[in-house]
Amino acid sequence: MIKKDAWSKNEKIFLGLLIPILLLFFCFNTLPLLKGFYYGLTNFRGYGNYDFVGLRNFADLFHDVRVGKSYLFTFKYAIVMTIAVNLISLVLALGLNSEIKGKNTLRGVYFVPNILGGLVVGYIFSFIFTYILPAIGAATGIEFLSNSLLGSTRWAWVAIVIVGAWQGIAMNTIIYISGLQTVPEDVYEAGMLDGSTGWRKFKDITLPLIMPFVTINLVLCMKNAMMVFDQIMALTKGGPSQSTESISYLIYNNGMSGGQFGFQSANAFVFFIVIVAISLFQMTVLGSKEEQL
Amino acid sequence: MAEIILNHIKKVYPNIEGKKKKGEPEKKSNLLVTEEGVLAVQDFNLHIKDKEFIVLVGPSGCGKSTTLRMVAGLEGISGGDLMIDGKKVNDVEPKDRDIAMVFQNYALYPHMTVRGNMEYPLKLQKMAPEEMRQRVEEAAEILGITQYLERKPKALSGGQRQRVAIGRAIVRNPKVLLMDEPLSNLDAKLRNQMRAEIIKLRQKIDATFIYVTHDQTEAMTLGDRIVIMKDGVVMQIGTPQEVFDHPANTFVAGFIGMPQMNIFDAELLEKNGTYSVKLADLEIELSPEKQQRLKANEVKAQSITLGIRPEHITLAKKAEKSLKGTIEVSEMMGSAIHLHATAYGKDTIMIIQTMNLTEEEKNSISIGKEIHFAFSGNMIHVFGKDGANLEA
Ligand SMILES: Nc1ncnc2c1ncn2[C@@H]1O[C@H](COP(=O)(O)OP(=O)(O)OP(=O)(O)O)[C@@H](O)[C@H]1O
Ligand SMILES: [Mg+2]
Repeated sequence: MIKKDAWSKNEKIFLGLLIPILLLFFCFNTLPLLKGFYYGLTNFRGYGNYDFVGLRNFADLFHDVRVGKSYLFTFKYAIVMTIAVNLISLVLALGLNSEIKGKNTLRGVYFVPNILGGLVVGYIFSFIFTYILPAIGAATGIEFLSNSLLGSTRWAWVAIVIVGAWQGIAMNTIIYISGLQTVPEDVYEAGMLDGSTGWRKFKDITLPLIMPFVTINLVLCMKNAMMVFDQIMALTKGGPSQSTESISYLIYNNGMSGGQFGFQSANAFVFFIVIVAISLFQMTVLGSKEEQL
Repeated sequence: MAEIILNHIKKVYPNIEGKKKKGEPEKKSNLLVTEEGVLAVQDFNLHIKDKEFIVLVGPSGCGKSTTLRMVAGLEGISGGDLMIDGKKVNDVEPKDRDIAMVFQNYALYPHMTVRGNMEYPLKLQKMAPEEMRQRVEEAAEILGITQYLERKPKALSGGQRQRVAIGRAIVRNPKVLLMDEPLSNLDAKLRNQMRAEIIKLRQKIDATFIYVTHDQTEAMTLGDRIVIMKDGVVMQIGTPQEVFDHPANTFVAGFIGMPQMNIFDAELLEKNGTYSVKLADLEIELSPEKQQRLKANEVKAQSITLGIRPEHITLAKKAEKSLKGTIEVSEMMGSAIHLHATAYGKDTIMIIQTMNLTEEEKNSISIGKEIHFAFSGNMIHVFGKDGANLEA
C-alpha cells in the first residue's frame, strides 16, 4: 500500500515554490482582471458614486467611434510591426550566426535597445524626430524630412513603428540566434553535398527547423505590439488628432483622466480577451506547422 | 568512373585562440604546430583507382575526418592538389563534385520523412517525380527500409537511421561515396551486420569508396587498401594482407592485428652474411626471405625492436632452446587460450590453440607459473630503434 495522506518531501518543495507564485499571480493579475470586469459593469467615473449599468458599457464599446479607431490603429500597428520585426531580426540573426569577426560584441550591441526602458527610448527618438531629422531635412533640402514625422496624421504611426521595431528587434534576434544554433552543422553539410544552398537551404532546412522559435517570436511580438503604450506616451500622446491612439493608451487616458473609468474598464476586459484569443489562434496555427522532430 | 588523386594534400588549421571545432573535446595530440597553425594533415599522397574501396584508419585526432572532408569539399585544402577524374577540384563546390557522404551522426533532415530525405538530393537535381519515386524505392529495397519510408527519422532506431543515411547517399548514383565512421554509433552486433551489408552494397553500386574508421576490424574486412594515419601523417598504405604481414613501422604493427603484436628489445646479429636475432639467451636465424630483404637494404648488426604476433608464438618444452615468462592472466576462448605473461620486462600475449595441447600441458597453464615459449624465424618482424621496419 502506498501511503496517500503523507506528502512526500519533493511534493512539499514543489508546493512551497508554487503557492507563493500562484498567490502573487492571483493578486496582481487575476484580481485586477476581476475588479476590472466589476467596474466594467458600472458607470464609475474614477471618483464619486456609481451605479451598476449591467452590460451597457460592453454593448457601447461596439458603437464607440473612438474605440473603433483605436482598434484599427492598434491592429495596423501590430501587424506591420510583427512582420517588420520578424523579417529584420531573422536576417540579423542569420548574419550574426555566421562566421564573422567580433560577432559576440555585435550580438551584445544589438541587444542594448532591449535593456533600455520604453519611455527612455521613446523620448530619445522624440528628440530625433522633432529636432534632428527636420534639421537634416532643412540642411539637405529633402522635403520629406523637413517636417517632423510626428506632426503628420499620415506618417506619425510609421514613426512609432520605427521606435517599437528598434526596441523589439533585440529580443527577437536573440531568440532567432539561439534557434539557429539548434540546427546541427552536419545537417547543413549534408545539404551542401546534396546541392542545397542559398535560398533553398534557408527554405528547406533552416526555416522548418527553427519553426518553434518563429512561433514564439510571432506570438510575443504580436502581443507586445498590441499593448503598445510607452512609445505613444513618449512620442505622440495619441495625436495628431487621435491618429495614433492605441487601445492601451485610450484606456489609460480616458479611464484615468477622462471620467470613463467604468467604460474603459469594460474596454480593457474585452481587450484582454482579444489578446488571449489572438495568441491562442497563432499558437494553434503555427504549432501545426512546427515539425514534430 | 571516378579516379581520385590526392597529391601532397595538407591541412593547416590557423592558430586562433579559443576557437575549437564544435564537439571536439580539448585534447593535446602530437600534431605538428608551425607558425601558420596546426598541421592536421601533412603531405597526403594517394592514388585511388576507380571503384576502389579505401579505408582511412588511425587513432582519434589523426586527421582522418579532415582528409575525408577535404575530399568532400567541406573543408578547404591548405596545400596540394585534389584531382577527381583528372580534373583539379580544390576549389569546386561540394555539390559540383558528384560526391555523397554518410555522416557519423547520420545528419538526416529531421523534418522530412525517410522518403523526403532520400528524395531531397534528387529534387534538387530537378528529377522527374516518377523517376525519383522509382529510384528511392529501389534504394529502399536494397537497404531493407521500404516499410519505414513514410516515417520521420525520430521514429527509427540507430541502425535504421544509418540505412536511411546510406540510402540518401546512394540514390543519386554518386561517383564517390564517403563514409565517416558510419557504424561507430551502433552496438557490436548491429555493427557486424551493417559491415556485411556495406560489403554487399559495394557489389551493387558503382562508386569509389572512401571509408573512415578507427576500428581495425572494419578496416581489414572492408578495404581494398588501407591508409594508416597518425598525427596527421600517413604511416602506411597497402592491402590488408600487406599491412598485416609487412607493417612499415612499430605503430602500424601495433595498430593492425588483434591482440596487439608483442614487442621485445633484441639484437640483430650478422655472421658471415647471415642475419639472426638474439633475445636474451636465444638466438634465432631469420628466414631466407628476410635475409634477402635485410641484405638488400644493407642493414648492419644493431639493437632492434623485435615484433612477434601473439598467434605466432608456440609453447616450448623446458629442454628446448626457449624464452621464458610468468603467466599473469589466462583467458580461455574455447578453441584457443589467450595467455598474458610477463617476459623480459614486457607484457606478452600469446594465443595457444587448445587443439594441440596435451592434458598435461593444459594443466600446467595456470597463473603465476613459469612458461616457456618460442617462435620461428619467418614470423619475426625486425624494426630499427626508430620504429621503422628494417626489411622495408
Ligand atoms: N577547426 C579546427 N581548428 C584546429 N584544429 C582542428 C580543427 N578541426 C580539427 N582540428 C584538429 O585536427 C586534428 C584532426 O582532426 P580530425 O577530426 O580529422 O580527426 P579524426 O582522425 O577524424 O579523429 P576522430 O577519430 O576522433 O574522429 C585533431 O587533432 C583536431 O584537434
Ligand atoms: Mg573523425
